[in-house]
Amino acid sequence: MEEILRGTGVVPGIGIATVKVLSNDLTNDLKQYEAGTPAQEASRLAEAIQVASAELVQMKAAAQTNGQQKQADIMDAHYTMINDPELAAAMAAKIEQGIVAPQAALASADEFAALFDAMPDPYLRERAADVRDVGRRLVRLLVGAGQIQYGVEAVVLCAQEIEPSLAAGMPEDQVRGIILGQGSTTSHTIIIAKSRAIPAVTGLGDAVTRIVDGMLAVVDGHAGQVILNPTPEHLADYQEKAAAEAARMRQDSEVAALAAVTKNGTKVQLAANISSPADMTAARAQGAEGVGLFRSEFLFLGRDVPPNEEEQFAAYKAAAEQCGQHLCVIRTMDIGGDKPLSYLTISKEENPFLGCRAIRISLKRPELFITQLKAILRAGAYGSVAIMLPMIISAAEIIAARQYVEQAKTELTQEGKVFGASVPIGIMIETPAAAITARELAGECDFFSIGTNDLVQYTLAVDRGNSAVSSLYSHFHPAVLRLIDGVVKAGHEHKIWVGMCGEMAGDPLAAPLLVAMGFDELSMSAPAIPRVKEVIRRFSDEQIRQVLVEALALNDADDIRSLLRDFGQN
Amino acid sequence: MTKIEVVLTNEAGLHARPAAQFVQKAAGFSSKVTIHSGGKTADAKSILAIMGLGLGKGSKIELIADGPDEGECLAALRALVEGNFSEG
Repeated sequence: MEEILRGTGVVPGIGIATVKVLSNDLTNDLKQYEAGTPAQEASRLAEAIQVASAELVQMKAAAQTNGQQKQADIMDAHYTMINDPELAAAMAAKIEQGIVAPQAALASADEFAALFDAMPDPYLRERAADVRDVGRRLVRLLVGAGQIQYGVEAVVLCAQEIEPSLAAGMPEDQVRGIILGQGSTTSHTIIIAKSRAIPAVTGLGDAVTRIVDGMLAVVDGHAGQVILNPTPEHLADYQEKAAAEAARMRQDSEVAALAAVTKNGTKVQLAANISSPADMTAARAQGAEGVGLFRSEFLFLGRDVPPNEEEQFAAYKAAAEQCGQHLCVIRTMDIGGDKPLSYLTISKEENPFLGCRAIRISLKRPELFITQLKAILRAGAYGSVAIMLPMIISAAEIIAARQYVEQAKTELTQEGKVFGASVPIGIMIETPAAAITARELAGECDFFSIGTNDLVQYTLAVDRGNSAVSSLYSHFHPAVLRLIDGVVKAGHEHKIWVGMCGEMAGDPLAAPLLVAMGFDELSMSAPAIPRVKEVIRRFSDEQIRQVLVEALALNDADDIRSLLRDFGQN
Repeated sequence: MTKIEVVLTNEAGLHARPAAQFVQKAAGFSSKVTIHSGGKTADAKSILAIMGLGLGKGSKIELIADGPDEGECLAALRALVEGNFSEG
């Protein structure tokens, strides 16, 4: 009969397979263990430590090759623990007292784990599981229990808790889901499941004891539930969902692995727009090469005090680290009177979009600005980051901002904090003023990124949110296209790179035009990346140059849109 | 015997990964090395002992090394801590 168990979905996705229950119980194996003399036990233990160390080194190397750095770090920590002199001393003392090696390992690991269990820091409390795992790894080697034996069939693993050493050996294509009784969302097993996209539901508590080997189970990581012995209708439903999910993932990951190049090999960097480091998972899955716009506003909104340096630093660092070798462009606070915040004390404005916002606030409130700059500069020590200034209309603003960057560096040096010494400083081109004077501005900064949403609204004097005029809003308006084209040329004359991070960058219709104009980077919301990439890969440089010439010769936004639509259907 | 004082400025403090790096670095020297902090002492070559100190960001620690390569050993550990364990 169907039964639905509710827990917490910690890894999204749907997995369907028969259950394999993992027992953490080594009691039987321990009973059958044949004891040797203390000297023999000591040498068996030494051998087990050697074998375990070799296993961990191998698993660490495998994880690194697969780009699973977190898992590699776990294996490294376990390697160090298994070779720990204090653990060795504790085990040796027990063996001398006549205790067999596996019991000595188990008891010693438990003693250390108990110390961690008692710690106030939740992170360290979790490490108790690691110490116990290290002990059990030794026991399994000593009693010959070894790793989980997988058959040929796919399985859903079910246990109160799965030790990381067992989780690390999970064959990706065979483990379709994980069901855990314990509720941790940060255990190493969950980290491993996340990195392999194995759907997982945790926190089922003692309900897991009702699950037995061979039951059919659906693990729904989206809804956080497990369906045991599903009815034929439910099963068919979930099979369909799982198949659709798999097809979409396959398709996206095929495109994600391809480069964004034209038929001639002209390459454009496709980056992601993010609002929080949590968006990086989707960004990477879609094949984003770095971040072209990190909207730092999310850190500032919905609170009564501004975020401090540490809080900002943690967010920027996390995003930068996940960008790997690619650049993470962090835009300084872009807030105005339309989203009033108590600590910004902007007086009521008739027209907040033409009022005190973004860089204008930053330059008036150096304490806020310098705090943010310090956090970004510090993140620069952990990855490749850039500072991007919003709403620029003059070179004087860039020069003033640069002075604050220098002041931030001086303060960091005095405070003895490490920071990235050569963090590039770029500007958003989102006002007609900046677009028209791009040549002058290019001499004062390291890159341009065109913010089309504001540029279109300011150039056409159209509020897109106003339904009476929103039909006039178009990023294909000739005025906008000519401004954008001019900005790319001005940037390249001054040998700086030019990107775009507005909505236009994610419009597949616009992609051929933008590549032909010579954009070095296009940054968009992650789900838009595969489509834009597909379009770019379909055409030759000659074809897109031709359509750009035609588009720039037209005088009407709708005509340009139709031209591009026809072109895209070629 | 040589003694130095350092402050943990990395985000994670001496938790699993940095602790593993610390121990692996210390184990490369023949000197005996101990960590002292908040009245507690731990063998710098034992990850379990170090993690047992529960040292977070901002903790001030004293490192004492005793042996033929004590100077080099402390210099290497200082570089590791002050370089924030090259977190990244």
